[in-house]
Formats: sequence, structure tokens, C-alpha cells
Amino acid sequence: MYKFLHTVGDYVLLMSRVFTRPQKGKIFWTHLFNELQSLGVESLGIVAIISTFMGAVVAIQTAFNIDSPLIPLSMVGYTTAQSVILEFSPTVISLILAGKVGSRIASEIGTMRVTEQIDALEIMGVNSANYLIFPKVVACLLINPVLIVFSMWLGVLGGWIAMEASSLVTTTDYLYGIRYDFRPYTVFYALIKTVFFAYIIASVAGFYGYFTDGGALEVGQASTKAVVSSSILIILVNLILTQILLT
Amino acid sequence: MIEAIHINKYFGGNHVLKNISCLFEKGRTNLIIGQSGSGKTVLMKCLVGLYEVDSGKVLYNDRNFSAMKTEQRKMIRQEIGMLFQQGALFDMMNVEENVMFPLSMFTNKSIEENKDRANLVLKRVNLENANDLMPSELSGGMRKRVAIARAIAMNPQYLFCDEPNSGLDPQTAGVIDHLIQEITLEYDITTIVNTHDMNSVLSIGDQVNFIYKGELWWQGTKDEILETTNPELNEFVFGTELTSRLKKSIS
Ligand SMILES: Nc1ncnc2c1ncn2[C@@H]1O[C@H](COP(=O)(O)OP(=O)(O)O)[C@@H](O)[C@H]1O
Ligand SMILES: [Mg+2]
Repeated sequence: MYKFLHTVGDYVLLMSRVFTRPQKGKIFWTHLFNELQSLGVESLGIVAIISTFMGAVVAIQTAFNIDSPLIPLSMVGYTTAQSVILEFSPTVISLILAGKVGSRIASEIGTMRVTEQIDALEIMGVNSANYLIFPKVVACLLINPVLIVFSMWLGVLGGWIAMEASSLVTTTDYLYGIRYDFRPYTVFYALIKTVFFAYIIASVAGFYGYFTDGGALEVGQASTKAVVSSSILIILVNLILTQILLT
Repeated sequence: MIEAIHINKYFGGNHVLKNISCLFEKGRTNLIIGQSGSGKTVLMKCLVGLYEVDSGKVLYNDRNFSAMKTEQRKMIRQEIGMLFQQGALFDMMNVEENVMFPLSMFTNKSIEENKDRANLVLKRVNLENANDLMPSELSGGMRKRVAIARAIAMNPQYLFCDEPNSGLDPQTAGVIDHLIQEITLEYDITTIVNTHDMNSVLSIGDQVNFIYKGELWWQGTKDEILETTNPELNEFVFGTELTSRLKKSIS
């Protein structure tokens, strides 16, 4: 318990150093731009694949489970869209990103720590926490919502492809289901969650990377810890936000 | 001039620096020597404030660095150049960008002016036509040169070098040592070098501070060190096969 509070304290202190005005605006923008590019490009492929298949599986399972003639087949479209938008895209994709992006951030910053590059920054008088972590947090906050919206589209599309391919549900029924009772608020709700998750991913990974102590082995451990902690936090925050936003 | 006054540093229960007081003068290469694990790196990091001392203070030209706030320290930090044990070059940047980094971060000069300055210091460390190489493409000696160039880019008043020739062959190590000494005299700065290499001690040791298990055990010059009667220092100096045989054959 003491150790836990200690970690939280260190995290808060680090964040107070991260969220300050960058010393050189121009350098910050260059950094941010590079991060956006690498985060976006790096994750696009895996997000596309997972989202499409996820949507397909949800649609097939829903169709499979409707055996009462009283339930219209358009429910398949409705259910797929709802589950993809409300839960699968924001939460599952964020968990995937916690693994992919989080481990990269933690190992990148951790390597800089153990090779004394962070010390070199500090010696020059650079606020290393701000210089290294801030652009990554901002980049995640900007790019993750884009990835999640992209994932929602592909999830719904994946469901449709599966229904077409298996002829379980007609396109008309599926499309009708998607539009049925569609509330823009659900997308808004999903994006709010995404923003919280994006902050968790980047800041927790930055934290574990920044406080790596030792050598290559510890860099590996730091990135594992980053993934585990941010995943658990995402699930907890998901529960809390769902309670607050949907009730 | 840098002065350390009664410095103590603990890591948990491990008392790493024990009441160390010493003076590092301007225009000289001041050495901190001692076995691996004796506390050289920790002492150097306490001097520059990468570690906080648990008691005692560090003065830079009579300015009490230990009592300063982050913002004031930043001012002093800009007078400091430091060469880390593995070079600590930024892996994502090429040689030129590494050297230009402190310039573009802390001066408002144009890119051209910064480039000129970077090329000047790269030339000073005899490293030309390497501007576009990435750190991973450099040899050990080249990495050290780039790191020295980056450390002196901002015209520092104080230069810190943590084992500048670790991992280098004896010839290259000698070249780096002399480069450090030349720069010290040329810019008339206060230089502090950590080393456990007796070759460096004997060639550039204007002032030598021997640390033994976290205590300042002996102080003197490179000439005095060979006459020492201090048993621990003797063990350190003549501990290797080569030096002990040489000593026997001389006496
Ligand atoms: N960050 C740290 N945390 C805990 N102990 C440390 C740390 N850095 C150094 N030490 C300990 O301090 C002692 C001196 O280390 P160091 O100054 O690196 O020796 P060296 O003289 O080889 O440079 C060692 O016992 C080391 O284990
Ligand atoms: Mg050391």
C-alpha cells in the first residue's frame, strides 16, 4: 500500500513537470508532428485488421443467436453498431494501443534513461519530462480519437461484409438496423472514453520509461509494467466512465 | 572553480559518499580516481545536481548551487558541459543535430549560425565529414568526440567527463585525454574527469583526488602519486601486473 501511494506520488510529480510550457515552441511542434506521424502510421494496420474482424464476429454471433421469428433481422445491424461504437472500438482498440504504443513509448524513454540521454538533457537545462513525454501525450490525445472513429467505421463495415458473405442478413436489413435509433451521443460518449484512455496510455508509459533504473533488462520490464498498468487502469476507468456517462 | 563541502549521499541504507570536501580549480584537469563502485559517478552527479546531496553543499565560483531552485540551477547548467560514460548521444539525431541541439534549444541564433558553430566544435575535436552519420554508425572514439563537441558547443565554464576513455583502446584513449586537457587550457575552464585508468592519471592529472569506498582518501598531483606511501592508493596504482612488475624492476 505504501509502495502504491509512493508510485502515485511520483506519477503526480512527474506530470506536474510534463505539463508545463515547452521551452522552445518550434522544437515542440516538430516533435509533435513526428509523433503524430509515427503513432498514426504505426497503428493503422493493426487497428484496421482487428476492427474489421471484430465487427464481423459480432454480426455473425448476433445473427446466429436470433432464432425467434419475432425479432427482426435488422437487429443484427443495430447490435453490431451499438456494441462496436459503445464498447469494442473505444475499449478494445485502446487496450491494443496500450500494448503497441505504450510499450514503444516506455522502451524508447527507458532506453534514453539507461543510456544517460535523459541526464544529458537535464545537464543542458532541458526539462526532460516535458521535452520527452508532453509531445507523446498530446499526440496520443489527438490521434487516438481518429483511430477509434476509423475503427468504428471498419467494425460496422466488417459486420456488413460478413452478413453479405454468409447471406444471413440482407444489406437493406443491416443498414436499417444501423440507422435504427442511432444517437450521436453514443459516438460522443465513446470519444470521451477514448481521450481518457489515450491520456492513460501515453502518460503511464512515459512514467514507467522515465523511471527505469538499470540496463536493457529493466527497459523490458518497464515496458511490460507500462502495458499491464495502463490496461488495468483503462478497464477501471472504463467502468467508472460508463457509470457516469450512461446513467 | 568548484568546491564540494562535506558532501554525504545515501542510496537507501548504502552510504555512498562519506563527508567529501574538495576543491576543483580553474584551468586544470582535476581527476577523481578510484575503483569501480567507489562512488566517482555518484560524486560527479551530485556536483552537477543530477542527484541531490543528503547533506553538504556544492559551490560554483562561490555560488551555492545546492541551495538553488530549479530555475536558478538552469542558469548554471548552461555553463556546464558534460561528457557521459557511454557518450549519451541522442540516438534519433545525427552527429550535426546532436551538437546543434543545445544551441537550438538555448540560443536564438539562426540555423546557419548554429550550423557554423557546430562545425567549428566538430573541427576542434578533429571530426570532420561525419555530420550526417547517426550515433549507431560511429566508433567508440568518434562517439566520445561528438559528445565532447556537444559538451563544448555552448562555451561552458565547467566541463565534466565521466570515464571519457572507458571502452577505448589505449591509443584512442590517450587522444581523448589530451583533447580534454587542451580544451581545458584553451578555454581556461574548470574540468573534472572521473577515471580508473592510470595512463590518464599520469598524463593529465594536474590534481588527483583518490576516492576509496566513498571517502576522499588522498589528494595530490600526478607526480606525487608515484611516491605515495598510502597503502590503499598504492594498491590501486600498482595493482595491475604491468605496473607491479615495472615497480619491481625500477626498485
Ligand atoms: N541510482 C543508484 N541507486 C542506488 N545505488 C546506486 C545508484 N548509483 C550508484 N549506486 C551505488 O553507489 C556506489 C557507487 O557507484 P558509482 O558512483 O557508479 O561507482 P563508480 O566509482 O564506478 O562510478 C555503488 O555501490 C552503486 O551500487
Ligand atoms: Mg562510474
